[in-house]
Amino acid sequence: MLKEKIENLKKQFLAEIERVKPSDEALFELEKKYTGRKSEFIAILKSLKDLSPEEKKQIGELANNTKNQIWEIIKNKRQEISENSFDAQKEKIDVTIPGKKKSAGHFNPISLVRRDIEDIFVSMGYEIADGPEVETGWYNFDALNIPKDHPARDMQDTFFLDAKDGEEKLSMRSQTSAVQARYMEKNKPPLRIIVPGKCYRREATDTTHDHTFYQFEALIVGENVNVGNLKFTAQEFFSAFFKQNVTVRLRPSYFPFVEPGFEFDISCTVCGGKGCRACKGGGWLEIGGAGMVNQNVFVSAGYPRNKYQGFAWGFGLERLAMMKYKIDDVRLFHGGDLRFVKQF
Amino acid sequence: MKYSYNWLKELSDTKLSQDIVRELLTMHSLEIEGMEEKKWNFDGVVVGKILEIRKHPNADKLQIAIVETQNFASVQKQNLQIVCGAPNIEVGQKVPVALVGTKLPNGIEIKEAEIRGEKSFGMLCALDELGLGADHSGIFILDSKAKIGEPAKKYLGVEDDTIFEIKVLPDRAHDATSHVGVAREISVLENKNFEYDFDGLKLPNKKSKKLIVKIEDRKLCSRYIGAVMENVEIKDSPSWMKQRLEASGIRPINNVVDATNYVMLELGQPMHAFDFSKISGQETRNKKQETNKIQIVVRKAKENEEMELLDETKLKLSDQDLLITNGETPLALAGIMGGKDSGINENTKTIILEAANFDAVNIRRSRTRLGVKTESSDRFEKEIDPNLAEKAIVRIIEVLEHTADAKLEGVIDVYPNKIKPCKIKLDLEYVNSLLGEIIPKKEIIRILNLLGIGTTIQPYKVVCIVPTFRVDLKTQEDLIEEIGRIWGYEKIEPRPLVEPIIPAKINEVLSFERRLGEISVGFGFDEMYNYSFYSEIDAKNCALDNVKHFELSSPMNPDQKYVRVSLIPNILKNIKTNLKNFESLNIFEIGKVYLCHPELVSGSGFRNEFRMTGTEEKRMFVMAQVLEKDPVNFAEAKHGASKNAETFYSIKGATENLLEKISVDENSISFNEVKLSKNHLAHAGRSAEILVDGEKIGMIGEINPLVLGKYKIGKRVAVCELDTEKLLKISQKELVYKALQKFPTITRDISMLAKGETKAIEIQKLIKKIGGDLVLNVSMFDVFFKDGVTSFAYHIEFGAPERTLENKEVDEVMGKIVAGLEKELGLEIRK
Repeated sequence: MLKEKIENLKKQFLAEIERVKPSDEALFELEKKYTGRKSEFIAILKSLKDLSPEEKKQIGELANNTKNQIWEIIKNKRQEISENSFDAQKEKIDVTIPGKKKSAGHFNPISLVRRDIEDIFVSMGYEIADGPEVETGWYNFDALNIPKDHPARDMQDTFFLDAKDGEEKLSMRSQTSAVQARYMEKNKPPLRIIVPGKCYRREATDTTHDHTFYQFEALIVGENVNVGNLKFTAQEFFSAFFKQNVTVRLRPSYFPFVEPGFEFDISCTVCGGKGCRACKGGGWLEIGGAGMVNQNVFVSAGYPRNKYQGFAWGFGLERLAMMKYKIDDVRLFHGGDLRFVKQF
Repeated sequence: MKYSYNWLKELSDTKLSQDIVRELLTMHSLEIEGMEEKKWNFDGVVVGKILEIRKHPNADKLQIAIVETQNFASVQKQNLQIVCGAPNIEVGQKVPVALVGTKLPNGIEIKEAEIRGEKSFGMLCALDELGLGADHSGIFILDSKAKIGEPAKKYLGVEDDTIFEIKVLPDRAHDATSHVGVAREISVLENKNFEYDFDGLKLPNKKSKKLIVKIEDRKLCSRYIGAVMENVEIKDSPSWMKQRLEASGIRPINNVVDATNYVMLELGQPMHAFDFSKISGQETRNKKQETNKIQIVVRKAKENEEMELLDETKLKLSDQDLLITNGETPLALAGIMGGKDSGINENTKTIILEAANFDAVNIRRSRTRLGVKTESSDRFEKEIDPNLAEKAIVRIIEVLEHTADAKLEGVIDVYPNKIKPCKIKLDLEYVNSLLGEIIPKKEIIRILNLLGIGTTIQPYKVVCIVPTFRVDLKTQEDLIEEIGRIWGYEKIEPRPLVEPIIPAKINEVLSFERRLGEISVGFGFDEMYNYSFYSEIDAKNCALDNVKHFELSSPMNPDQKYVRVSLIPNILKNIKTNLKNFESLNIFEIGKVYLCHPELVSGSGFRNEFRMTGTEEKRMFVMAQVLEKDPVNFAEAKHGASKNAETFYSIKGATENLLEKISVDENSISFNEVKLSKNHLAHAGRSAEILVDGEKIGMIGEINPLVLGKYKIGKRVAVCELDTEKLLKISQKELVYKALQKFPTITRDISMLAKGETKAIEIQKLIKKIGGDLVLNVSMFDVFFKDGVTSFAYHIEFGAPERTLENKEVDEVMGKIVAGLEKELGLEIRK
């Protein structure tokens, strides 16, 4: 009997919920009517205590399930109502209005280029080395096979520091190569390092020259290092840096700390070597200097003569940054103008 | 240096075009910086025949010539009337005629003219008007066989040329600063033996009877050849020689001076010519048996000895300078420049030619000390082969026999220690191992021989005899470079390294700097790269003038004389620059400062890494901020009325954020007030030292408004300056995780009024002290200043690790806190 009663109630509920116009109030009323404290349902549940244990279990389960079904249906109806009531079009906005920006800073492009270069070299097993910028004559010149009174000391104009008579003249280092001897004194081959850093030359400034600049230098020393390896490494590096296949070309040149010494060019990154305005039609871009480490440099660093072979090559970071970002004036890097820096 | 293609072509006998020569030299020998075509343009200048000459009726010095030419356009014969001032024309002569409409190389445009009432239709040309030297003594008379009406160019002895501008680096400065040197390269690259008879230039066996040469200092002068030439006729050099000199950028003077320059450009040996008569005139005290001879004595100058150079520079010498003298008075500053009194002039009849060799280092020192730099000193200071002197003297004698009709009287050669070719044993295996490519032995020998290097083959080795003119070839590597470059670097295949790869050590300080950059950029700061220099005035303005600075001995300009001891002066300049375009600024710089400790200099010798040079380079990190609205108000600053310091607290927040990012424990940081003078770079009332675990790692503060005033910055600037390496050390401490709070916490707010100088940190510390472990967090959420009273408001968060706190418990602690704040700090708690 109770069982029928419950089923009837359910039917009645189902019929009624179909009939009413769904609204939060109507649903509340229905919920109250069928499962509220004064509802028939609760009365049924209360009367369960008079039944036999078996019936109690059977009917109780049915009643509970039914109650839960009713709640479930009401819950779904409510969900339906709330979903139907939301109209996205009413909340439509103008998506072209500028966003509220988080303040974001900017790196100087030299930092960006330097980071890219360092990452490539570190992935090739290079250690990043550095050294002082105020250098002694020994490390800036003598140890690099540039003896006193040698014309090569004129190759770059050096910023010397004032010194009293008799004191040694220190200078602002004119090349990162000064770090070579310092590093080799403390480390034995095989070694591969890169030296990024600030260098100084007493040069008149114009759109392509600044007296302060960042150099980048790679040095590998071992027992079997050769010019072919230098070419390979340079090609690998520049291909990774410019994200395209780059060929390296060596031309004879002279730097006292290497022998043989080269200028190295890379195939034009704009036209791929066919010839364009960027490479002045030649298909090549001048990048930097390179060479096989002069045995005198090894000797200065305390290595035995002719035991090791190595190569060194270097270039200006500004030059790469200028190529990468098409910057036309080198003075912008140290110019401190935020209109420049904020572009990167 | 400038090289004439025609000249190189003649010396090397090459048939290659300019472009191919350029390409070959670039890839194998020397850097060519530029190439310039030298074309003689005489369009409109034709051959004319003088038919008639008559006097100008209205001018004594002018004549009227009737000249037969051809009209250029119509190829018709025409007779022109031309007024001319030159006295050297005669009827029947053929002369260059510039027709009306012609523009001459010297810029003059020929127009129909009326000169003192007589019409003139063109101009008869002298050499200077054609751009062929300075001769304006008369109209240039052409060969009588010249065809009337033809372009005059082919009769003017001019040749179009191409000028190469070649950058010769120090290694090749000994031999390649000569046309012979470069021509030899061209021959090598063409795989041809060098045609120029270099070896054939041998000193004639004809001793001078008029000259004695003595070298007093054989170290500074390793060779001196003097040649006496008589019967010299001083005149202009032939046109071909002048053209070549001009192509190389040297102004022709007269045939003798030109010859010395010509031979120098050809062979690389600087030379000098003395007027014999002027030397003998000065000679007074020779010994009896030598009275009919003059002597040349090469000696060091006496301290403060004086001399006057050819260009009339008066010098006071030191005892390190080398002189060419007549035994008494200086004739020349050896290897640098001749003296005024012994020079050639139009009356010179007998000359002494000098080809000598001087010590490179000494020449360099002398010319630096005396400030006299010449073509000659440039070459000598790069060290040249003493054997070259012989070649050059033979060559100049040859030249002057032709160009000055001179006759050789005799030669004196003092050459005590003959330089011999050097021997290098070249390991063939090493050639391949250094270049990374197997070059056939035959190729190696071929290349060496073409370069003039003698070879003897031994097992696995070649003994090389290097000619003395290749001063630069001293080691095996030097020879390997020669082989590699001539063979062609382009033939070397790129090859991966076979050296073992060892995991690279991380450079901690550099990667930390990079991290600081990334954090700063993340916080909205823009990166500055500044020069390491500023001016003395900057040092003064920023009150850094009490710090010892390194100074550049020759700065680019006085604004960059001082080497920085702080990043801030240049940062202030950045701010000044950018305030033109921006309302607010957040900038940072990572860089070194260079401290100078003269008291720490010690040790001697130049190679000792432990030696103290008295330098200290510190890596610094600076952030600076300017807010949109926080102007410096001097009135307020003076009266201390304003306690609102947005800019200061903004940079402080950024600093705290940064320290948090690099894992510095918040509780280990303190910002301590410091006593600063009124003139300090930092604002004496708004600055603090930053300490971590009691160690000072930097400073934070506003820039002193008085300093800002000097930079004309009208807004407040706050700066945080940190010692990067100290920061790195602190950030390396292991981070330890704190267990998460499991039980609910209770937060209470408290606000209070403080009169006088109570500091936020004192309040915070006291709350923590009284609250003990139950106080998890004290954070200020409001502060304001009014009428000398500061109002502080804090959230205090309470909690316990193992249980839920009860309100009663918290009430009790709050009570104690309130009592403590009232009693110990005298605060008024707002209820």
